[in-house]
Amino acid sequence: MSNFEKVGSGYSLDLTLDEAQILINLVEQLLELLGEGDFFHHYDSSDPLAQLLAMPSEIVTPDDPVLLRLLPNAYADPEAASDFRRYTEPQLRGSKQRNLRLVREQLTVLVDENHGGVIEELDADIWLKAINDLRIALSIRLEINEESFETFEMLPDEDPQKSVYAVYFWLGWLQENLLGLLL
Amino acid sequence: MVKTLSKEEVNISELIDRPWITIVWDDPVNLMNYVTHVFIKLFGFSKEKAHELMMQVHNEGRAVVSTGTREEMERDVQRLHEHGLWATLQRDDKI
Repeated sequence: MSNFEKVGSGYSLDLTLDEAQILINLVEQLLELLGEGDFFHHYDSSDPLAQLLAMPSEIVTPDDPVLLRLLPNAYADPEAASDFRRYTEPQLRGSKQRNLRLVREQLTVLVDENHGGVIEELDADIWLKAINDLRIALSIRLEINEESFETFEMLPDEDPQKSVYAVYFWLGWLQENLLGLLL
Repeated sequence: MVKTLSKEEVNISELIDRPWITIVWDDPVNLMNYVTHVFIKLFGFSKEKAHELMMQVHNEGRAVVSTGTREEMERDVQRLHEHGLWATLQRDDKI
């Protein structure tokens, strides 16, 4: 069973190979959905000229419900929401991509060597945010609500959604495990 | 003794303007402990205060987590979105 642990001033995570593979697959699917491009990759993002040049010509409200939940409207008013999105969405998207890429990098070591093991010196904050974004993405696809745990328990084992629910609840457990060390 | 306020400190338009608020909305996904953790981290609330606000989101469907200028609230909403919380900003409708 996977487990976060506090080691000195840092954190580690013990994963089986299966768990590492499930996680890396989810991370890569979400990275794909978010788009691999990173506007702030090749230059100092605090440079106002660079920011101006990097401003994409058109940023629209996402159609995909997962993206809309991960990159939500900041205002109820559609015009204000769209203005705000135009200026801030690249940064928000970039922050989520950076978290996921870091998690992927650490998982890659286990997956490439084809065994489970301990990921040392992980950044608890980045892992929390990444796991949370994965849970949000799955929750939209599964249409999670307050009764979803009962739905999951009633599903027959052969139902293909059963394993997706299981991963969703496992991620919640994993996140709770890490939070327990932080709070 | 009374210190005279500078022109910048006496910003009449800001006093007349209603302040802006950041609202966090309930969702069935974010863990209660996670929401509390994010409130402590982003706003520097005590554990008790953060827990109280989290419970308000959970029970009432929403809670105001910060108040200030529009720019400040936009920053708060952006930081909440970075953490996966569902947040919006608006003018405070109570006067």
